Amino acid sequence: MTMQATKDVDPVTLTVVWNKLISITDEMGGALRRTAFSEAVREGEDFSTGLFDRHGRLMAQGNFTPGHLGAMPYVVGHLVKQFPPETLREGDTICTNDSFLGGSHFPDFFMMTPIFLEGRLIGYVVNTAHHVDVGGAFPGSQAVQGVSEAYQEGIRVLPVRIGRNWQLDDDIVRIILGNVRLPDKVLGDLKAQQNANYVGCKRAEELFADVGVEMMDNIVETILDRSEARARELIGALPDGVYSFDDKLDDYGPGSPPVEVCVDITISGDTVTIDFSRSSDQVPAALNCYINYTRAYGMFAIRIISEFDVPQNAGVERVVKVIAREGSFFNATFPAASGGRASVQVRIFDAVNGAMSKAVPDKTRGAFTHWCNPNIGSNHKSKSRWVMYDLMFGGYGGRAGHDGEEGMAPVMNCANIPVEVHETNNPILIRRLEYLPDTGGAGQFRGGCGLRKDVEIRDAAVVTLLADRHKFPPYGLLGGQPGALSRTVLMRDGQEQDLGSKEVRELEPGDVLSFRLAGAGGYGPPERRARESIEKDLREGYITPEGAHAAYGHTPETGE
Amino acid sequence: MYRLAFDIGGTFTDFVLEDTRDHSLRLWKVPSSTGAPADAVVTALRDMLADGGIVPGDISAILHATTVATNAILERKGARTALVTTRGFRDIALLGRQKRPDTNDMNLGKQKPLLSRSDIFEVTERIEADGSVNTALDTEEMDRIAEQIRDAGYKAIAVMFLHSYANAAHERDAGARLAQLCPDAQVSLSCDVSPKYREYERVTTTSANAYVQPIVHRYLERLEGAVHSEGLSAEFQIMQSNGGLVSPSIARAFPIRIVESGPAAGVLMCAQLGREEGLDHLLTFDMGGTTAKLGAIDFGEPSIVPTFEVDTIKFRKGSGLPLNITAIELLEIGAGGGSIAETGMGLIRVGPASAGAVPGPICYGGGGTRATITDANLALGYLDPDYFNGGLMSLDLTAAESGIYEQIAAPLGLSTPEAAWGVHSVANSNMERAMRVVSVERGRDPRKHVLIAFGGAGPLHATRLARALGVPRVMIPYGAGVGSALGLLTADKKLDNSLTRVLPLDASQTSPIREVFDHLRQRLDDELRHVTGDGSGIVWRRGCSMRYRGQGYELRVDLPDGEIDEGFVAAAKAAFEDAYRANYGYVDSTAPIDGIDWHLMAVIPQATPASLGRMASNADVSEPALKGTRKACFPEAGGPPGNYVEAQVIDRYLMRPGETFSGPALIEERESTTVVLPGDTAHLTETGHLMIEINLEGTR
Repeated sequence: MTMQATKDVDPVTLTVVWNKLISITDEMGGALRRTAFSEAVREGEDFSTGLFDRHGRLMAQGNFTPGHLGAMPYVVGHLVKQFPPETLREGDTICTNDSFLGGSHFPDFFMMTPIFLEGRLIGYVVNTAHHVDVGGAFPGSQAVQGVSEAYQEGIRVLPVRIGRNWQLDDDIVRIILGNVRLPDKVLGDLKAQQNANYVGCKRAEELFADVGVEMMDNIVETILDRSEARARELIGALPDGVYSFDDKLDDYGPGSPPVEVCVDITISGDTVTIDFSRSSDQVPAALNCYINYTRAYGMFAIRIISEFDVPQNAGVERVVKVIAREGSFFNATFPAASGGRASVQVRIFDAVNGAMSKAVPDKTRGAFTHWCNPNIGSNHKSKSRWVMYDLMFGGYGGRAGHDGEEGMAPVMNCANIPVEVHETNNPILIRRLEYLPDTGGAGQFRGGCGLRKDVEIRDAAVVTLLADRHKFPPYGLLGGQPGALSRTVLMRDGQEQDLGSKEVRELEPGDVLSFRLAGAGGYGPPERRARESIEKDLREGYITPEGAHAAYGHTPETGE
Repeated sequence: MYRLAFDIGGTFTDFVLEDTRDHSLRLWKVPSSTGAPADAVVTALRDMLADGGIVPGDISAILHATTVATNAILERKGARTALVTTRGFRDIALLGRQKRPDTNDMNLGKQKPLLSRSDIFEVTERIEADGSVNTALDTEEMDRIAEQIRDAGYKAIAVMFLHSYANAAHERDAGARLAQLCPDAQVSLSCDVSPKYREYERVTTTSANAYVQPIVHRYLERLEGAVHSEGLSAEFQIMQSNGGLVSPSIARAFPIRIVESGPAAGVLMCAQLGREEGLDHLLTFDMGGTTAKLGAIDFGEPSIVPTFEVDTIKFRKGSGLPLNITAIELLEIGAGGGSIAETGMGLIRVGPASAGAVPGPICYGGGGTRATITDANLALGYLDPDYFNGGLMSLDLTAAESGIYEQIAAPLGLSTPEAAWGVHSVANSNMERAMRVVSVERGRDPRKHVLIAFGGAGPLHATRLARALGVPRVMIPYGAGVGSALGLLTADKKLDNSLTRVLPLDASQTSPIREVFDHLRQRLDDELRHVTGDGSGIVWRRGCSMRYRGQGYELRVDLPDGEIDEGFVAAAKAAFEDAYRANYGYVDSTAPIDGIDWHLMAVIPQATPASLGRMASNADVSEPALKGTRKACFPEAGGPPGNYVEAQVIDRYLMRPGETFSGPALIEERESTTVVLPGDTAHLTETGHLMIEINLEGTR
């Protein structure tokens, strides 16, 4: 497939090459997933892959977690600044987990490898993966309570050359592994990341050799221009205006005030600016979002709501701006602690969704149930070293014409971890895992139900909770009702005790942690809900007769 | 004596009759009789017996592949099924793994489950991960639930308790009570259907087994009845997804194992052809009207995978229903002759939406209005409008060209040939991407493989696919139009069973490993009684899905025969490391390895494997195979995209072994046309198959 460099790229070549770029990032993801050691990566798919040109422009990104959509280009920018092209050699890998330069908390390790063709640097492959533990005060390195600055959150690796000649540097790796709780898993994942970059590099080399470096330049320009044009077209179709929405996170640990989540979205012609500046200041707890994180999820939310059909790349970034005041909760400055910032991703989406509901109500939905991402692990009293990283997802909010989907990953797209896998790997027993009836917000189209999961602990342990919506329920839209509040309950010696959504708590053998996720928000007034929908919900147990009466004034047909 | 094989598909039922004396074959197809598939079989049987002067008693074996189980799932037409599960875990079957099918589409929900929430019943019981009993089965409660299920009129019941792979006692007890109290329903236990860990995959497999069981039962009963009423008394055998044949009684007990019956047989045909041609590393490429199916043969054996996914959304991995059944490895993508082409953002997109057979491509003249891959292939000159499906159909070239022009060329500012070439190329690039997954990503070097292409559209795209991947040879088998029925003749009887036991792979574990295989052996011995009379001639094959400790993704590897001792463990470790290196490029020789799922397979080889090759050697033809020339698009010959050159048109049925043709050429047969590129050559092998030598020089 040799062709001459021309300014115009024919549609066939363009399509074929574009497909290949995306297929390379998919293939990298496949390699990473299959060789990873930690549940977060392999079952949770908490990773991302990307391909950049030699100017550091994002060409294609794998269809994995959106958590790095808007962030990765900035990370590459920082890494290239530290390691300019002339300092890089084939088989080098540069790595960082810094919260400001990278993915906004230490567990996310970015790895960047330059791609060379005949001695010439032609681009970069990048991947990032969430590691199960990077040290710090608590297992999992995501605790919110009692963590007020980044230095308590584990090892911080500023950009270093972690690999040469396709081998990880033993010295650097030893420093990292000496600071984490589960060195085998971290090492396994670091190797998997290196391996994924190797796979990506080899494919990219082949593609550039086939097509020609100059032609690839033309193609990348064309891809970015087309993507930009399409993004402008989609944003241009939205009504101009400034749309605002305010919501609150429960708190940043027991006894602390709520965090204001405020967004102002300005649609002006064919560009959009998402501004979180009115939100609270950064907080002395590990919940803050560095700007890369805010960008990632702000970008993702607007992509979904505007129905972007172009893959993420540098062209799209020219159209969507995500900003926040420096020093605010959504643009924190180092050493703000941020280990638990994953908890906020759903709320970034919810906030953008809430604001956009004023512009395009048909394309938005009631708020999600909010997810729950606890780390339960051994402490000094435990019999063995272990960390149970868990992910729980409830329902989606109702939307025009449809009830919210039950039990599906919101925003970041992760699989859950099977009960039988958890119980095989950790000293725990799961007592139940089920939908919670009557929790979905009532509406013409109701919100999805919350989820309950009870986990019995059989060793001394410590839990770091990462949840929300214990105080402010998921909102409904257009007259739809909010979902029920979340609760996290510690059951000890027959007593139930409510825990804060971001509490850290020592546990004794025999304790049961009961996670009860909120219901999602409804859409449209409940009185317009079809009777047959209510009856179907009753039959299937998504609502109880009492719940149906309370929410919809529903009474059974007489004479039945 | 004769062996009869038939594959009932949606459109056609394909038959092959083998004369066991000289292994000569007769092939034919009849339209399927929708709704009553046995009718078409009976009619065809009568014709065949009368035609060949064969008495029913001369038929010694009847081999069958079917889509009945798949269709029941795809169309959600299975039995009303109840599920009994551990108290507190009612929603496992509905939650699934909770990933959305498309990260970038929040409106696309999960695949519709086979059961509703109201069909799921919870009973008090609990087994722990190590098999110990935490809470005994509440038998009184169980009986009450059984009565409820009976009164509600369920015809099928699935039982899945947590960790039943480690201790099946509660499931067995529940099963016995259900069988007694619900005599009209069939019961599937997860410890029988799939004793492997990961509860969602196990419950889905078990529910699906229950869901299709009554339909498969009825289907086989009618079919057997119909065939036997024609005087045939031979043993009936059914193809499973893993490429092995079983008795109807096993197919009735575990109908979920026959889900991918037909496609599996197609791959077996490829394996047999490979054996006959002395080729043992093959990539298989079956491209039909709606989809393309890609597979692989390693060391002469079809690759078997431990899970299969049915009913995916837009062919996305993880979006369908996962089944814990061994299956011949096949990757299915939405690229077939009927796949629809369109434009967007100045690009060409092809599939996965398909015009199918009805309304079909524009050129079929059956009401199709959307431009498809077949329309493009016609416009590019690859297809002869007057010799489609052996001349049974004529194609409307003008309509195809104007469809391509209006829908693709005009919006992109291209000429019609350029646009048609674009559709063809984009389809190729989609298939290349999928074939890379099957080959490179899974540790298979395309340069060391032969690509076998079949299906109506496979031979049209195979040579360019081979060039893109660096595959040096392409083989187009004879009789590929009835490939699945042919494959049946080459199949062995096969039973397999798997069990989850997380065991470290070290010398101290020989006795638990021995116990696992003894247990599997016992289970298989029970099933074997239904399959083989005297139990002689059984070949046992061991396998294990392993991983480095802490990983969650296993690799399935074959294990050696013989005594399970330290040497066995060392060999198992070496086998894992070889497989790991092949897949991922490195090994960690210090990391501990765990065996997770243990597999045992019993193979009863066919006494006389069919010889597929001998049917087609055209040694005695006298007419020249070269029919003439036709203008067709071969940019490989130089010039701009959309370049048309004179290509030789060759009648495959008149080719003689040893005769070589150079591309550009189009080799026509009834079911398909093979595109031979400039620089490549095609010849007929001694056994009658078409072999194309790909010139890989200069493709880069």
